[in-house]
Amino acid sequence: MTLTDRQQLSYIASQAADARLNVELETEGMTLNIGPQHPATHGTLRIICRLDGEQVIWAEPSAGYMHRGYEKLTEVRTFPQVTTLVNRIDWLGSFANEVPFILAAEKLMEIEAPPRAQVIRTILFELSRIANVSLFLGDLGVQMGAVTPVFLAFRDREYVLNLIESATGGRFHPNFDRIGGLKDDLPKGWIDEARQSVKKLMQFCDTIEDLLFGNEIFQSRMRGIGVIPAEVAKDYGLSGPNLRASGVDWDLRRDQELPMAWDKADWKVWTHPDGDSWARCWIRLQETRESCKIVEQLLDQIPAGPVMTKVPRIIKVPAGEAWVSTENPLGEMGYYVVSKGDLGPFRVKIRSASFNNISVVPWVLKGVYVPDVITILASLYFILGDIDR
Amino acid sequence: MGLVDKGRLPAPLTKLFNMSRSYSLWVYQWGLACCAIEMGAAFGSPRYDVMRLGVIPLPASPRQADFVCVSGTVTDKMAPAVRRLWEQMPEPKYAISMGSCANCGGPYWDSYSVTKGVDQLIPIDVYVPGCPPRPEALLEGIVLLQQRIKNEDMAAKWRGDEFTTLQRTRAVEAGEVDRDGELISDTHSVSEDPMPDPDPEPIVVGGGPIE
Amino acid sequence: MTAEADDAPAALPGDGLREGIVDDLRARIGDSLVDSHIAPNDDLWVRVATASWRETGEALKAAGFTYFCFLSAIDWMPSPYGKGEDDPDAEPVEPDTEIKQGVTGGETRLQLLARLTDLDRHVGVTIKADVPDDAAVMDSWSTLYAGANWHERECHEMFGIGFNGHPDLRNMYLPTDFEGYPLRKDFPLLARMVKPWPGIVDVEPMPADDEDDADADAGTDGDAT
Repeated sequence: MTLTDRQQLSYIASQAADARLNVELETEGMTLNIGPQHPATHGTLRIICRLDGEQVIWAEPSAGYMHRGYEKLTEVRTFPQVTTLVNRIDWLGSFANEVPFILAAEKLMEIEAPPRAQVIRTILFELSRIANVSLFLGDLGVQMGAVTPVFLAFRDREYVLNLIESATGGRFHPNFDRIGGLKDDLPKGWIDEARQSVKKLMQFCDTIEDLLFGNEIFQSRMRGIGVIPAEVAKDYGLSGPNLRASGVDWDLRRDQELPMAWDKADWKVWTHPDGDSWARCWIRLQETRESCKIVEQLLDQIPAGPVMTKVPRIIKVPAGEAWVSTENPLGEMGYYVVSKGDLGPFRVKIRSASFNNISVVPWVLKGVYVPDVITILASLYFILGDIDR
Repeated sequence: MGLVDKGRLPAPLTKLFNMSRSYSLWVYQWGLACCAIEMGAAFGSPRYDVMRLGVIPLPASPRQADFVCVSGTVTDKMAPAVRRLWEQMPEPKYAISMGSCANCGGPYWDSYSVTKGVDQLIPIDVYVPGCPPRPEALLEGIVLLQQRIKNEDMAAKWRGDEFTTLQRTRAVEAGEVDRDGELISDTHSVSEDPMPDPDPEPIVVGGGPIE
Repeated sequence: MTAEADDAPAALPGDGLREGIVDDLRARIGDSLVDSHIAPNDDLWVRVATASWRETGEALKAAGFTYFCFLSAIDWMPSPYGKGEDDPDAEPVEPDTEIKQGVTGGETRLQLLARLTDLDRHVGVTIKADVPDDAAVMDSWSTLYAGANWHERECHEMFGIGFNGHPDLRNMYLPTDFEGYPLRKDFPLLARMVKPWPGIVDVEPMPADDEDDADADAGTDGDAT
């Protein structure tokens, strides 16, 4: 994607005007430190900006305040224990973190979950996406001074969390996925409850669209701000909605073969040509709706059968290497699992989406104004556990 | 508050002060990791609604907070910042440690970069175990903290002593127990209030281990 | 206003496409392509010579692998500390010190590992290269793929691998005065040294302990137990 001539001209004109103003006012450089405890950083990210007047001339995120050493810890855990850990990487969409790791282990063991487990996995995966992104949509308003959406988000997110809790027993960190299937079957009445909850979440999307996306302040603070062209996005390895907002049509749910059930539902991958903050937020809104649709359709298609295939009690994964990545709420989340035939993995490289997504920050923040820093960070949407691991 | 500064305050007035303090707590939320979301659910969501307990979330700065809720993993890199924010808070101040990571390191007990328990940095009044604890558990922790504040000898807190209950101060003044809480004689008549634990341990929600 | 593109690829990549990629890469970098491995209908690995690490990146970028996925390393030395969850009463087992590399082999203890994706052909490739034992320095990809910048910083911090031409190899996660490279296998986890793994009391009884289950599971356990 390239900027239109008009956008480019207005950008150059604004830059020139700022430069003139800064010379006239003789503004001196200043270093602004945001974080590590700041509401806009979703945790403990610290961003150091060097300012010239109102403009950021240099920015550098300083991560590591939430580095918990997952990759080392996986080496001293057994395979079933690892899911307990990786669950907590992206803490808003916990179930989605377990899935690629379990799939990688299953790939090495050359087994596959039974069809019923695959569909239930997909449903829970999409529910955790809804739980994740709904909080993003609510939080979006807070970054711009609108407090109402976050209350709505916390209210409606509870419906999803209730579903996840009644199915898995864990409200936040389910740890429900097992090598070879799922821990348990769905409880009685869950499917009806899920249908109703998903309807509520669809209404929530409509509310947020009315409240925020049509709002003039929101548009003027988001449109044309923080533009990331497709080439830059690919170069930095941006993934998920951030990549699709730059016009790259790439969704791992559709574009690779996995033993999951996304191909059984009729849904759509949304892209947006603009690549600005608004596009990123809009894509997420649409994806939440698509997730609701996927869940609604898959609820009708859960096949009968067991949820667990036959696996040995003591799981030893055969030696080998496997890479599995899935389209998680934040983007591409993958595990490169190396096993040496022991009870636990030899090495696990965790490729988390936010790490790449946030590495573009020094590039995209260059030249923006201070208030836009917050909205750009909000629209890139990162979770600290996912950056630092 | 001249009376308080001198370390003396009539008991009815203390009770009044304590009650008003316990129902107007400004909480500085210290969201560090996963627990921050559950804390957000407890503080920000209409389903749990912490304000009905007289707790006001979201102060502008630690300088106007009464207690802090440390929720999430404290890493060695974050530890100095945690300590500094704690020092910025005015006395009297209280701390709730939420979640296994803040209590003792939790699932990262063997990690090379995680501080094994925020109590190494700041004194903790209430531990809320869980990974993460449900919002209800955090609310119970807050209620327990309020009960403790209601029963606190405010003057002792002002003097900089550790947590001291009103009953204990009265017993000390009456010469019934010494400062360490040991009974001086068996012939004393303890006040009608039940004698609280003379050596005040931090509260653990649920009463189990802090993990 | 909004583009709606929903055309999935005609066919997901097959092994023919992967073989074509290997041939194409061999044509571009010649003998520097040391080894390749194709997992049928699944994935592709190539191993290249240490000196042509950057050249490989350039060649693959020209061949359409424009999406940078990740860059990391593997320490192939078996951990001298074991997994720390063996039975404390059992006889200590002599630790295995032999270094065995994985897919596509290798000669050194540390190996660099990167993954690139071709978003048009829907295929990814994992690239490996040996890191010299005596001087763990490789060429940087940071000017080639902007995203490699942070990954190389992380790799430097975790494995102690240097990168020629990297603008800024500061620590990213750990304090500056942190000693050691955590992801190397000889880095001890001190908490485990002072306190044995508590989970050992929680493991389920071994199949041999309860006779009935052992018989029932014997057919499925196979040689995995």
